[in-house]
Amino acid sequence: MKKLMNCLLIAALVLGVAVLSAAPVAAQDEIKICQVTDLGGVDDKSFNETAWNGIKLAEAELGIKGIVLESKSDADYMVNIDQLIDDGCDLIVTVGFMLQEATATAAADNPDVKFSIIDSTVGMDNVVDQVFQTDEAAFLAGYAAAATTKTGTVGTYGGMCIPTVTIFMDGFARGVAYYNEAKGTDVKVLGWDMEKMDGTCVDSFEDLDKGKQVTLAMMDQGADIIMPVAGPVGGGTIAAIEDRGSGLVIGVDSDWALTYPDNADIVLTSVVKKMDSTTFGVIETVVGEKFAGGKYVGNLENGGVAIAPFHELDEMISEELKAELADLQAKIIAGEIELNETYVQ
Amino acid sequence: MNMRSVTVESSIHARTLKVRDRVIGGVLIFFALLVYLAFAAAAAPETSSTFIMSRGGVVRGAMGDVVLPSRVVLTVVSVFLAVLGVALFAVGSRGRSGLFLLIGGAGLVFSFLVFVSFDKRINFASLFNSALTMSVPISLGALSGILCERSGITNIAVEGFMLVAAMVGSIVGSVTKNIWAGLLAAMAASCLLSLVHSWLSIRYKVNQVISGTVINIFSLGLTSYISSMYLQNIQALNKTPRFPTVSIPVLADIPFFGPVFFNNSLFVFGMIILVLIFNFLLFRTRWGLRLRAVGEHPKAADTLGVDVFKTRYVAVLLSGLIAGIGGAYFSLGSVGRFDEGMTAGKGFISLAAMIFGGWNPIPSFLAGVLFGFADALASAVSILGSPIPGQFINMLPYVITMVVLGGVVGKGVTGPASAGIPYEKE
Repeated sequence: MKKLMNCLLIAALVLGVAVLSAAPVAAQDEIKICQVTDLGGVDDKSFNETAWNGIKLAEAELGIKGIVLESKSDADYMVNIDQLIDDGCDLIVTVGFMLQEATATAAADNPDVKFSIIDSTVGMDNVVDQVFQTDEAAFLAGYAAAATTKTGTVGTYGGMCIPTVTIFMDGFARGVAYYNEAKGTDVKVLGWDMEKMDGTCVDSFEDLDKGKQVTLAMMDQGADIIMPVAGPVGGGTIAAIEDRGSGLVIGVDSDWALTYPDNADIVLTSVVKKMDSTTFGVIETVVGEKFAGGKYVGNLENGGVAIAPFHELDEMISEELKAELADLQAKIIAGEIELNETYVQ
Repeated sequence: MNMRSVTVESSIHARTLKVRDRVIGGVLIFFALLVYLAFAAAAAPETSSTFIMSRGGVVRGAMGDVVLPSRVVLTVVSVFLAVLGVALFAVGSRGRSGLFLLIGGAGLVFSFLVFVSFDKRINFASLFNSALTMSVPISLGALSGILCERSGITNIAVEGFMLVAAMVGSIVGSVTKNIWAGLLAAMAASCLLSLVHSWLSIRYKVNQVISGTVINIFSLGLTSYISSMYLQNIQALNKTPRFPTVSIPVLADIPFFGPVFFNNSLFVFGMIILVLIFNFLLFRTRWGLRLRAVGEHPKAADTLGVDVFKTRYVAVLLSGLIAGIGGAYFSLGSVGRFDEGMTAGKGFISLAAMIFGGWNPIPSFLAGVLFGFADALASAVSILGSPIPGQFINMLPYVITMVVLGGVVGKGVTGPASAGIPYEKE
């Protein structure tokens, strides 16, 4: 009897876990567009969520069926991709640099399956690489931050020091440096060293408390505007600014004034990557049977990256600064301002 | 045991002590050379290091910056470490070599701070305060583990307890707009999970590591599901008020120490009080003696009339309640919202702190502070921008852990004898 109870209890727990993580099953004839997230999960208020929004948009407009599998550990990437291949997905969207290796392996083993990877370059015929020249938009955010800071110090930190993260930090620091040169000021950047290409990373995309502590430490070193490039960990930065009752945050990936509506009063702007529109575009090629592998670079010119409106802080920003930002944007598009060539996509 | 073997044993003991003194003496001399050659030699005569002694945004107990002449200070520390090392070699420590290593380690860390702030300003107060704050979930998790394991039930489910508590605390706190309701709900949720753990491991005698693992996986799945289905879409469910920062009258006005220790979140004070209470309960009361007896030798305790099962149930449920407070720190104490996996492995680190502290509340708390300090130090150094690559700085916490584990603990600390073994009443 005891043994039976024992088995039942464990079975119940295991079943619970299995039910919670099971994917919905699609009907046979629908076009299935499937996504594998990285560790941030589909609700990361960041690139996983934005890409998923693109799929949801396609569900509404193109009548496809969207499926998402979340990865809980590095070991899940391959398993999730394999499961989606077995499910007969018409396009598998993998999100993030962390899935590069798994995607390349799966694409090589299954040349007939269509893939699209976000934020990474695989370079294969059956894969569309969606990459973003994020430093162009981060440059504008850095310039705006340098023009807005009251303490003469701004800061940035990353989730992990990987290229798709540090490209934000580098562009941001360059924007500040450009402002210093143009205006003869000495605004400092904490958390990123342009010469050494090295900076502060919290080594996590989940540890919000660490994000809060790093933000407090940066503010104690004098920074009043922080750009966290760490997905949901940025929520820690918002909490730190709330606690201190001063300071501003610059959002990344999505427009944080909309993502965190209760905190729109402390969001200066956001460096937006529009994975939703690029993902939607790739889905359209699948539906229209025009899919071709290759590279899609989102930049300021084609609107794949941008800085978000100032929303509630709009009155604080002078017309002069807005004109300067528009001018800088034109110069970047025209190629008159050189950014770090390491990050050219 | 006759007299002769006692003498032999004690002479062996004396010899190992002597070897230990020599090794640690050598380590200290190495530290001294490191400080002199790597740090002091890198300073120009006029280089200075500035320590900011006040936290940003805290007015009470503020004090001016301390400006140190880097080269002089580093040379003095180096000479001090060298003298300490030579003394250990020549005279010995009379069994207190761990203390010497601790002083040496502190000297090395201090020198490192002076070194990274050459002609820069480092916020010293913020560093220590951050260490204390970051130790809250680690210390509470360790305390939770201690109660459970001291009673003979292995508990690796602290991470799962904390994760569920963080989520439930955030939901209830958001809905009621009441931090205390949130805290109580978090404790209740964690306690419920610990009830499952106690049933599985006491009543059904399931392997306790498996039971803990299943609870961890279940908690991750449950919280991720609820979070992505509801919490991220409905702001009203995931925007809880946070516990306020409290400053203790008079003490908060002490320069440096006030802002660092006496002006904190309620969680910090709560953690310290809980650690002291449970240290007293475990080692100074009949209840504590019985609990430890049940964990060491349940059959003997049973023979003497202690109810083994009841004692273990109470211990596991208490462990759940305390982990619940630790979990509530993440949402109700720190950031005011819940996100997937936000405990970020702190539950497992707390188990390391528990072992590190030899299953004793106060040393485990200090271990938690040490982990927190290493973390805060790595952040502070990397924010300041140091000549050392970021990847190496992020290794700091682990290096410090290894040094202390090997040097200070390293005496073969063992846990409760019956932890992990289900008790079978005959």
